[in-house]
Amino acid sequence: MRSLVRLSAEGEGFVPPSSNDFNLPPIFGDNAFTTKPIVMVFFSVILISIFFIAASRKAAVVPSKLQFAGESIYAFVRNDLARDVIGHEFMRFVPYLFTLFTFILTNNLFGIVPLLQFPTMSRVSFPYVLAVFTFVVFHYVGIRKQGLGKYLKDIMFMPGVPKPVYILLTPIELATFFLVRPLTLSLRLFANMFAGHLLLLVFIMGGDHLLKGVIGLKLVSPFAFAFGIGLTFFEFMVQCLQAYIFTLLTALYIAGALADEH
Amino acid sequence: MKGEENALWSIFGYLLSGLIFWGGVGWGLDRWLGTSYLLLVGLLLGMGASLYLVWLRFGRE
Amino acid sequence: MTGTLNLVGYGLSAIGPAIATGMIFAAYISGVARQPEARSVLQPIAFLGFALAEALALFGLVLAFVL
Repeated sequence: MRSLVRLSAEGEGFVPPSSNDFNLPPIFGDNAFTTKPIVMVFFSVILISIFFIAASRKAAVVPSKLQFAGESIYAFVRNDLARDVIGHEFMRFVPYLFTLFTFILTNNLFGIVPLLQFPTMSRVSFPYVLAVFTFVVFHYVGIRKQGLGKYLKDIMFMPGVPKPVYILLTPIELATFFLVRPLTLSLRLFANMFAGHLLLLVFIMGGDHLLKGVIGLKLVSPFAFAFGIGLTFFEFMVQCLQAYIFTLLTALYIAGALADEH
Repeated sequence: MKGEENALWSIFGYLLSGLIFWGGVGWGLDRWLGTSYLLLVGLLLGMGASLYLVWLRFGRE
Repeated sequence: MTGTLNLVGYGLSAIGPAIATGMIFAAYISGVARQPEARSVLQPIAFLGFALAEALALFGLVLAFVL
């Protein structure tokens, strides 16, 4: 990196992208509640509503293209995520899972849509809030189904273990259910979006900087841009995958809370 | 298929929380008593305990 | 450039468990593909192997942050 910086001697040195690039200023004046990610969240909600209202309004037996697209997303969430994982009670959770999936997917895809180009979920507070929703939902479902005492007892005490070992195992079980699950759920989504956006920034900004360098470096910069474009498609895959994994894990946690097999 | 994915994510969670909890206990005791080996003891204990938990939940048929 | 060598060490130490996990599941998949009824026998073994390999990776991760 250092030799590259020295070769492109003109202008100031290359400033590698860092986490400061994720702190975007407010759009309207000084109001801290109108930063780009927040505006994008509202935009995504409007976008999703419009899309699915339009897709379901003129529902026909022979679907139009729009209706087909909306229905296949819905069918994917309902059949592949909810029904296969949760089992016979799945219909209650389809609205939550479907909202979660479309919301995360749209906000992730903002990362590669031209002009927007910022994945909302790379600000860690959004995944935190989503994980808190999931946390509340799956514990509430478990407590409703089994009663508070039995639910906690199932979590805390594995059957078939000598008593003194519980001192060792119970804290781990509690930490898994009440700390590690929501934390890993949100941090996985955040870290993937953050790292992906940073990766794209490195290649595009690096290519831009190479373009300003000496003639040899100018010849190299198209490769950096090409790699950046290739990584954009890779990012598309990661963004869809992360939305899927978040929803799948939510469904798995709900299924675990409903089943009393611990 | 879904059961296997579930098992993999829960194994990951158990290992992580075992290390974090007992490692954290060891780290706190280190800070309190001024020693330096309890962190390693805590981490190994946590790893052993969570491996035992994984064996209990997924290993025995 | 600034940073800590701990993370480089963690990156190096994660190679081993990564390869191990890949090999475990490659063996598990080919075993189940050849003999689907052996699944219930192979599954606990595969999970335990995965847990052992993953424990080492997580151990490295925690030590990279703590030390």
